[in-house]
Amino acid sequence: MLEMTIHENSCRGCQLCLDVCPTDCFVFDEQTQKARVAVVENCIACLSCAYICPSMAIRHKDYHQVKNFYRNIEFSSRMEKFL
Amino acid sequence: MDEILKKRRTLQETMNFMAALSAGIEPILGRGANSMTMSAGRNLGRKFSAGAKPTQDLMEAIDEVRNILVANNCLWGFEPFKPQQQNDFITSTPEGDQQLLLVFRDCMIRQALLRFGHLQQGSLCNMMYGFFAGALESIMGRKTTLEIKHAGENSCLKLLTVKK
Repeated sequence: MLEMTIHENSCRGCQLCLDVCPTDCFVFDEQTQKARVAVVENCIACLSCAYICPSMAIRHKDYHQVKNFYRNIEFSSRMEKFL
Repeated sequence: MDEILKKRRTLQETMNFMAALSAGIEPILGRGANSMTMSAGRNLGRKFSAGAKPTQDLMEAIDEVRNILVANNCLWGFEPFKPQQQNDFITSTPEGDQQLLLVFRDCMIRQALLRFGHLQQGSLCNMMYGFFAGALESIMGRKTTLEIKHAGENSCLKLLTVKK
């Protein structure tokens, strides 16, 4: 089960996470002037909120991590002749 | 195991090469690049789904598309998504079109694009739109669009619309 947390002391209340989240997982707490997780079940683990947060206050746990392709030197050298 | 590793390396390098090519042609061809890749994707979708089981059930059709991708060794994992506030996976528009949200996690296009810092939502992503349009046209016999709602670093959210 995916977990998402916002470090309360780190959040500056900029609301960038609210803007970027495509599934509206966050709400802005007017009282504390900080964002908080409202519907974690809606999170698709795109990690856009974690990347955009200027304070790096958002953390995800237990999600499927997609790894970018790596560069293989041997294959690259073979492809070079086409470039 | 060696064979799988070799195939994987080849796929990864080919996709990196494709990403570089698409990033290179986009500034030259402009919006034409999108229609080219969309058309290529649609042809691929039609070709792969030639022997697929026809159905009018959208969820069944989506499963069929998934089977087609697996059968053809395509690294394009996706799953239907339902926000908590929504009752069903499939919703209908006032015009009678069916809509379904899809989450794409393992996507060979994104994995290649981000490897070299290329932008998402470009012409290669449009190929996916074309693929779904082609495959669902064969399976359901209806026009389909796949709109990118959000392109994230780890997964993407897309809206599949099947026309009435």
